[in-house]
Amino acid sequence: MSAVTLDHDHHGEHHPSGLWRWVTTTNHKDIGTLYLLFSLLMFFIGGSFAMVIRAELFKPGMQLVDPVVFNEMTTMHALIMIFGAIMPAFVGLANWMIPIMIGAPDMALPRMNNWSFWILPFAFTLLIGTIFMPGGGPAGGWTMYPPLMLQTGTAFPFVIFAVHMMGISSVMGAINIVVTILNLRAPKMTLLKMPLFVWSWFITAYLLIAVMPVLAGAVTMLLTDKYFGTSFFSAAGGGDPVMFQHIFWFFGHPEVYIMILPAFGIVSEIIPTFSRKPLFGYESMVYAVASIAFLSFIVWAHHMFTVGMPLAGELFFMFTTMLIAVPTGVKVFNWTSTMWKGSISFETPMLFAVAFLFLFTIGGFSGVMCAMVPADFQYQDSYFVVAHFHYVLVTGAAFAIMGSVYYWLPKWTGHMYNEKLGKLHFWCSTIFVNVLFFPQHFLGLAGMPRRIPDYPVQFTDLNMLSSIGGFLFGASQLIFLYVVISTIRGGDKAPAKPWEGAKGLEWHLPSPPPYHSWTTPPDKEVWEHPYRD
Amino acid sequence: MGFHSIKNAARAALFAGLGLVAVTAHAAKSTDDAFWNMPEGVTPTSHDVYGIHMMVFWWCVGIGIVVFGAMIYSLVMFRHSKGAKPAQFHDSTTLEIAWTIAPVIILIAMAIPAAKTLVRMTDASDPEMSIKITGYQWKWQYDYLQDGFSFFSMLAASSDQASQLHSGIDPASVDHYLRDVDHPLVVPTGEKIRLLITSDDVIHSWWMPDFGGKTDGNPGFVNLTWIKVEEPGVYRGACAELCGRWHGFMPIVVVAKTPADYQAWVKAMKAANGKYVSPYDGSLEDVGSPVVFDTTNYNSMMGTPTGAAVPTGSNVSPPVAASPNAGAVGQAQNTNDSKPATAAAAPATPAKWDMQTAMDKGKQVYAQNCAACHMPDGTGNPEMGAPAFHTSAIANGPVAAHIQRVLKGKGAMPAWGNMLDDLSIAAVITFERNSFGNHKGDVVKPSDVAAAR
Repeated sequence: MSAVTLDHDHHGEHHPSGLWRWVTTTNHKDIGTLYLLFSLLMFFIGGSFAMVIRAELFKPGMQLVDPVVFNEMTTMHALIMIFGAIMPAFVGLANWMIPIMIGAPDMALPRMNNWSFWILPFAFTLLIGTIFMPGGGPAGGWTMYPPLMLQTGTAFPFVIFAVHMMGISSVMGAINIVVTILNLRAPKMTLLKMPLFVWSWFITAYLLIAVMPVLAGAVTMLLTDKYFGTSFFSAAGGGDPVMFQHIFWFFGHPEVYIMILPAFGIVSEIIPTFSRKPLFGYESMVYAVASIAFLSFIVWAHHMFTVGMPLAGELFFMFTTMLIAVPTGVKVFNWTSTMWKGSISFETPMLFAVAFLFLFTIGGFSGVMCAMVPADFQYQDSYFVVAHFHYVLVTGAAFAIMGSVYYWLPKWTGHMYNEKLGKLHFWCSTIFVNVLFFPQHFLGLAGMPRRIPDYPVQFTDLNMLSSIGGFLFGASQLIFLYVVISTIRGGDKAPAKPWEGAKGLEWHLPSPPPYHSWTTPPDKEVWEHPYRD
Repeated sequence: MGFHSIKNAARAALFAGLGLVAVTAHAAKSTDDAFWNMPEGVTPTSHDVYGIHMMVFWWCVGIGIVVFGAMIYSLVMFRHSKGAKPAQFHDSTTLEIAWTIAPVIILIAMAIPAAKTLVRMTDASDPEMSIKITGYQWKWQYDYLQDGFSFFSMLAASSDQASQLHSGIDPASVDHYLRDVDHPLVVPTGEKIRLLITSDDVIHSWWMPDFGGKTDGNPGFVNLTWIKVEEPGVYRGACAELCGRWHGFMPIVVVAKTPADYQAWVKAMKAANGKYVSPYDGSLEDVGSPVVFDTTNYNSMMGTPTGAAVPTGSNVSPPVAASPNAGAVGQAQNTNDSKPATAAAAPATPAKWDMQTAMDKGKQVYAQNCAACHMPDGTGNPEMGAPAFHTSAIANGPVAAHIQRVLKGKGAMPAWGNMLDDLSIAAVITFERNSFGNHKGDVVKPSDVAAAR
């Protein structure tokens, strides 16, 4: 990691070198790098499970794996992508960028920061290790519904323990972010003068603190139901399997907003830069993120419309779910207005941000469709839902992450990435991700359920198309891997501000920034919010 | 590329997009001829649902045209490479208010018909008949509460064989691959049928796209919904909640008949003495699980004390109220005044019952019922508590204990005595004791099984 240079500061501190540096680091840049590289590895592991899924679904009939192994693949694909790829990537970005963007020397709690990261490799070794245990890994879906989940064998306690560890990591990271933002902003930087990326993570951190313990409770109840004779989810003992779903989704819905709000923040940084125009409606954008976060607590049962809820419940959750489209739409309108009458150039980060705008909006449309309860009785547990959430998570969250990597790689490494390869990665990804997921809308409408390894022959053509898209999309990510590694290792020297229209504190630091940056907080003149008069 | 051709390209793309949308909106009557869109279906609910779906779809298309249009316009007209100079405006309270209120109004416009539809869909009052549907790992049980019989419905043997890993059978050569069952549910058209949906083990979901939706079956609870099928025909659906290994292999087939034809079928079922009457051609089916003339069947599954569930045409006890665990199952009214025939019990052992007959039959029963947990090669699944046969104390010990285990089940193993007839059980026990490395030489007779119940 020669790109991040040691700073010979005044106190003569010694930083360890080699592997031990990475184990003991409390530096937000190092920890950010660790999170990002970890998430890249998990992205490829989770992606390879998806390749198994798409390979089996290429043709009708069972060609490759036993149905239980297929269910393991779908379960693990989701668990790894959600908890190992998307969330750690956003935390890595938070670690790298939040202190720099607010003029702070580091996160407020650097040692806890180190622990937050290092829990993750242990948690995922445990989780992925279950595949090699007798009986194999968990196969009840990432949603872990009982009673099915209680039929898991030896893997069960390891999965629960891994989930607990991931949760602890997330909560500690979130606390760190809140404390850092509230206490370490540069003088005179009031909250409504912070960059939107910082705002989006500030709100996301509160969501994490609120809901990760709920997940912990839910999986602990699963554990006691299996091993300690409780019957939270068993009717015979006075419990209810549907209660698990309520508890899980009370966590689960804010969780999906945890996975998208930082993406909104990233897009709000990239689009103004490449439009050479200030973000339209800064305050509205802040209020929109806050409204989305608040509303995210009262919509959870839209993941459960078919469980047999009373009519009043179904109506309530339909209305609140429809309502959450309003602040989300406001954000899309504001991003579009930012581009309107701008002066737009199409470097790779902007390509990803624009693709996000289009394709996340399509995911939003299918989401509004799912909100309509009568129609959802057809969509629920079908490929229509699979298409919806992959649009918002892959072309939404994942594209935003990729865009942010291209955007900030020059800053982190001091090298420009290869723009031609970046564009190639972008176009391949965008085209193939649509070949992969768009047909799935039609599969769901035509009656194909989800989480099945085999299907009736009328679904063959669209599945084959989707699988081809999947293989090519997966292969395209190797371009990304190459670009990231080669940019870390070398490339054209990056200036402090490689993007003409960029504003924000990070562009006032050299590329790469010193190991300890903003040891003296910047003056107001340096950071004065460029969008405020 | 010149300025004009980009505009033309954008226009062309818009029309192509609209064309695709129009193709998408092409509706199909049923899932069998569905192409790109949800079927309109054959019930009042399915029509309503289709209507809501298309309404929200067109709203999304309309909003998409406006929003994507503005985006594309910006990306084309305000390019740095074409010398565009950036404006510096960065807010407008008027616009923010406008584009908050407009979506709210649109959403209210959508919510009203959706809410009305939902109220209609969930009104299961005044049904003309009731059917209880129980999900199992991995089949459905259909219980005709008024008529007093029930049967299991599982994946058809042809599909089951073709779907085995490395089967070598082309699914395209199988009729209705993965959407065919041995015993379809048969219903009358034109009558409001209340469906009571539950499960025996894990959560399942009964999804019939042609009927407008799905309802989850939760173990220990009963969910209520209703259908009123408008047209006779064969309709196909699937389980829609992950329920384990064969979640993708427990489809649903419903044959809707005119009321007259339906009554004829019910009569034939009652006369058939435990065999299933095909709704397609009236033939009596000799394979698969029997029709059981006793709704106390459910109670014995749940462990409440009851008389033994004898499958072949014995006295019918009146339908009983559900056991405490079952939730709110209504009292089944025996409105049909023709009682099931009480025939003399069919000969318990057929004329020719030897090792070969038993093994042939047993192999088939094993593949359809036992292989899921005990594995096709009999090596078992210790994680699920399903032992391997060649080391199993039961399979290698006294026959009587083996019969009891199959009849009564244990733990995750169901009580097959309630699902399979004496002949099938005798066959499969014979098969297990003489396969997978076992050579006990026993031939178990159906009469042995009947005596052991």
